[in-house]
Amino acid sequence: EKHLVLLRDGRTLIGYLRSIDQFANLVLHQTVERIHVGKKYGDIPRGIFVVRGENVVLLGEIDLEKESDTPLQQVSIEEILEEQRVEQQAKQESEKLKVQALKERGLAVPRADTLDEY
Amino acid sequence: MFRYQSLEDCPLDEDEDAFQALGEEDEDIDQFNDDTFGAGAVDDDWQEAHERLAELEDKPVANREQDGPSGEDSDLLGEPEDTLAERLTRLVIDSELEDPAIMQAVQTKVPAQQPGGLNSSIWDSSAVLRRIRGPLLTQEMPSVSVLDYALPQRPPQTREEERDPSERALPRRSSSPVIGSPPVRAVPIGTPPKQAAVPNFNQQILCPKPVHIRATMPQRYPAPYGERMSPNQLCNVPNSSLLGHPFPHSVSPVLTHLQRAQLLGGAQAGRMSPSQFARVSGLVGSPLPSVNPKLLQGRVGQMMSPASGFRAFFGAPPAPSQPQHPPGPAGSHLQSLRPQSQMFRPDTTHLHPQHRRLLHQRQQQNRNQHRSLNGSVGDRGGHRSNQQERKDPYANLMLQREKDWVSKIQMMQLQSTDPYLDDYYYQNYFQKLEKLAAAEEVHGDGPKKERTKLITPQVAKLEHTYKPVQFEGSLGKLTVSSVNNPRKMIDAVVTSRSEDDETKEKQVRDKRRQTLVTIEKTYSLLLDVEDYERRYLLSLEGERPALMGERKQKICDMYDNLRGKAPGQDRPSDDHFMQIMCIRKGKRLVARILPFLSPEQAADVLMATARNLPFLIKKDAQDEVLPCLLRPFSHVLYHLPLGTVTSLVQQLTNLPQSATASAPTNLHLTAVLQNKFGLSLLYLVLSRGEELQSSDANTELMQDNQWTELMLMATRELLRIPQAALAKPVSTPSNLISLFSRYVDQQKLNLLETKLQ
Repeated sequence: EKHLVLLRDGRTLIGYLRSIDQFANLVLHQTVERIHVGKKYGDIPRGIFVVRGENVVLLGEIDLEKESDTPLQQVSIEEILEEQRVEQQAKQESEKLKVQALKERGLAVPRADTLDEY
Repeated sequence: MFRYQSLEDCPLDEDEDAFQALGEEDEDIDQFNDDTFGAGAVDDDWQEAHERLAELEDKPVANREQDGPSGEDSDLLGEPEDTLAERLTRLVIDSELEDPAIMQAVQTKVPAQQPGGLNSSIWDSSAVLRRIRGPLLTQEMPSVSVLDYALPQRPPQTREEERDPSERALPRRSSSPVIGSPPVRAVPIGTPPKQAAVPNFNQQILCPKPVHIRATMPQRYPAPYGERMSPNQLCNVPNSSLLGHPFPHSVSPVLTHLQRAQLLGGAQAGRMSPSQFARVSGLVGSPLPSVNPKLLQGRVGQMMSPASGFRAFFGAPPAPSQPQHPPGPAGSHLQSLRPQSQMFRPDTTHLHPQHRRLLHQRQQQNRNQHRSLNGSVGDRGGHRSNQQERKDPYANLMLQREKDWVSKIQMMQLQSTDPYLDDYYYQNYFQKLEKLAAAEEVHGDGPKKERTKLITPQVAKLEHTYKPVQFEGSLGKLTVSSVNNPRKMIDAVVTSRSEDDETKEKQVRDKRRQTLVTIEKTYSLLLDVEDYERRYLLSLEGERPALMGERKQKICDMYDNLRGKAPGQDRPSDDHFMQIMCIRKGKRLVARILPFLSPEQAADVLMATARNLPFLIKKDAQDEVLPCLLRPFSHVLYHLPLGTVTSLVQQLTNLPQSATASAPTNLHLTAVLQNKFGLSLLYLVLSRGEELQSSDANTELMQDNQWTELMLMATRELLRIPQAALAKPVSTPSNLISLFSRYVDQQKLNLLETKLQ
């Protein structure tokens, strides 16, 4: 009965769902945070998570048989963190370029700071 | 408020009694207040009480005989049980606890003596409770957590009146409290009620009344042992047979872990409440050191299997079907992801049929596993066979009732008096799906179960006239603004500007704004009109003419809006209409309105469009939404008589009536031809003309000079325009060639043909 939770900030947590309430606050046990970069993913064990309901995007049950059935490749934690960092950097670069280009044209992208990142 | 609603919604007879019982609670309010903030709020003596009770714990358990009115305890329990039970039955809105076995048993209690006067200022809530307190205390009632009074929003009065002080009691800790323990005692707001979800599943009322569940008598749950005390568990203190508890026998209301261990050891079969078992099982995996070994052994799976109900507990603990239940409420989380269906089965009423099937399959599996162990009371054997539990000792931290509670809350939120209003897209989506399924059904197999949708509880619309709170004897009314009584916060006044001050741009802007407003108003009318069909079906016979009348009126209004009311004038200007047509939404609006208009009105619209087509084309360059008008236009065309068609073509080509001086280039027509919409429209009109011509050979069309001229003009123009400039029409009607063949010779016809491809 593993469950996969997607949070508003883009994190995916996988764990055993122990408790819920009407606000969708979740208690996850033996949680693992899974980071995906491209085709690789890495798991970071986190322990027990209590998630506030408003940050939950979706929640689904993992079919244990199908879980092993993925085309994704699992890598070590360091590697995946490194990959993530690289990805973030690349994103930031392109974002900067975009903003620059828009500025030159006199447009401005509204910085919606309160918006969720994903 | 909440409770009132639930009471009003309640169709059962207990209404009057419930109202009476409610009055009794008012006295409790003050006492509770006192307890929370006043003298009763002192927490310090819990430790002393704790010590005292620890000694008491060693008393023989023999008191707790099944049949024991002999035991002082049970007697004491009996009477308060009785009274409370009575009061609670009155309060209980749904008939869940009308289990005859339970009720009889409760009422056979002999009213007993006064309880011993153990101190507890905290529990001065009511006389009844006091009486209970006594025996409970003697039975090693742990200390009271005052914080338990600070309870969730659900009808607190009901709850607290019913609440057994034992609920607040802490069980004896076999080790020193963990650091975090005081906060642990606080009952969080989100705590599910300490009630049995549905004691008797077989009688469960339909889900649509989740409100009533909340007023159900709280069930006493055993205090979890020692350390791992989640707040929930804290509240689920030793059961009491107070409230129509399924165990009518005088089982002690307080079951410490020791007692429980004994119970589990087999002393008393099936006396434990389901949640007790569940709790125990949930706690087995506690990593904390001082786990009671007996408890550890006494693992029982989750008790609440839907089919068994509580009656099963009298026999033997039903086969646990535990860890698979977590998907249940988790599944309810997925409401938005999955449609669910409601069946009248106890705890799976709101699950998707597929989901439910899966769940029950798993239950069956587990049940079969434990089939052999049903005879054993203590479930010492239970744990043996339940391998899954052993692997996952944290399973079933949530009781079934808690899950039900959460899902009921969520179902409540779906209650709707008018699903079409609240949830339009969902309803329509499922209607479409059903139509699809029905269509497929004709061809293929039976309807797919996956299509069943969640049947949300439908509450009848009750008109509550809100009366603001009034105190007697006070002057005037309270000025309290709430949801039902909103108070005006801002005075928004419309000021019309004077014409002189405005600049040209402002005027233009204002005009545009007015047009936008007109469009919006017309849109509302349109939506209403479109909705009439559905209302028609739903309404009674008598109402229907009125509905039709309304509809007609609205259609007229729409048309007026479109064309611009020109009182006392013919429609000299298309200006208003043009304004609307310049805006993209306006064009779509016209397209949607056209089917509702009468033929004359529709033709009028068509003409206006055709007349001003180049202008519209120019304006439409960015939106490119004109083609959306084609379909309704073609429908309209079907019904047009010949004369209209002629004039239409004329409009389209913009030829002067008398073609005395034909301009070398016809800009209007050129523009039309070069635009997709224009060309398509032209083709449509021509094709219609051709239809009319060919259908009735003797029609005047042949003799109609005007038509002939128009045709000649059209063909000439078509020929003149280079192929590249010609727009690509949406569709080329097939009969155009035959049309043209009447007017041109073969050579030109061939040219035209190539152009038309």
